[in-house]
Amino acid sequence: MPIFAATAPSEVMRPDTEQSLRTEMPWLVIVWNDPINLMSYVTFVFQKLFGYSQEKAHRLMMDVHTKGRAVVSSGARERAELDVARLHQHGLWATMEQSG
Amino acid sequence: MIRRRIRPLRRGQGCQLNLPPEERELLKILPVELATLIKGLDRGAEPPESMRRLFPRAYVSDDGAEQAYAASTRAELSERHQQALATLADTAHATALDEEQMAGWMTALNDLRLFLGTVLGVTDDESWVPIGPPDSEVVIYHYLTMLQSELIDVMEQWLPDPVPGADDLAPDDPWGEPLGGLRWDGTPRPEWPPRPDQ
Repeated sequence: MPIFAATAPSEVMRPDTEQSLRTEMPWLVIVWNDPINLMSYVTFVFQKLFGYSQEKAHRLMMDVHTKGRAVVSSGARERAELDVARLHQHGLWATMEQSG
Repeated sequence: MIRRRIRPLRRGQGCQLNLPPEERELLKILPVELATLIKGLDRGAEPPESMRRLFPRAYVSDDGAEQAYAASTRAELSERHQQALATLADTAHATALDEEQMAGWMTALNDLRLFLGTVLGVTDDESWVPIGPPDSEVVIYHYLTMLQSELIDVMEQWLPDPVPGADDLAPDDPWGEPLGGLRWDGTPRPEWPPRPDQ
């Protein structure tokens, strides 16, 4: 009895299935460290835009400052673009990328 | 005691401005100059290096997606910058501000610092500060930093209560710790908490 048979794919994943899975992966909104924005301002903006507690906003700001970047929100592409645009309106250095 | 330039009134009532005339004159001139530069930008083209912090990319490496993002957001972003700068210029000689005007000041002061800081090449450490008598842009940059800090001190007290459950919805850090005592972008990791001044 072949022991490897069970690990062989019974059906090859078609490209369009792969593509639709890919489309559904959430987008991450990333804020990058920058030397100009004040730490207190970054915390303030996180609280204002996302309704985070002061503690949570401060922790995210510290990740930005010490690690260089932090994920501040995630979701569908349109939602992520909206968050990036709001962060840009507040002068933060935000980008987005798909997870996975 | 340090003289506070921004004196909060009660929540919802705004603040009083306690600024000397020469500072008010500066706060009237600077935003007009930056707004003129922003207005003169070619909407369809990449912003010049000095403006890249005012019009950042959303997509780091996907140029097609970035073009679509810029096409749909650039006009509104440009308008927001100009509105905030106009608010600062128009109220630079006011004795008091309402909360909406304070929000305009916050954005305008930050925009001015983003522009000046980029032109001056501000970095995370203090080494960018030139040795010898600082030139006027450096002094202005530090002045704007001080004024914005005062504004944040006041406005953070007036933030609405946190949204229930928002903290729990926030995504976890997917990357963990960068290696080698560096940040993710390869720059040195700052010491935290900072060493007290000797």
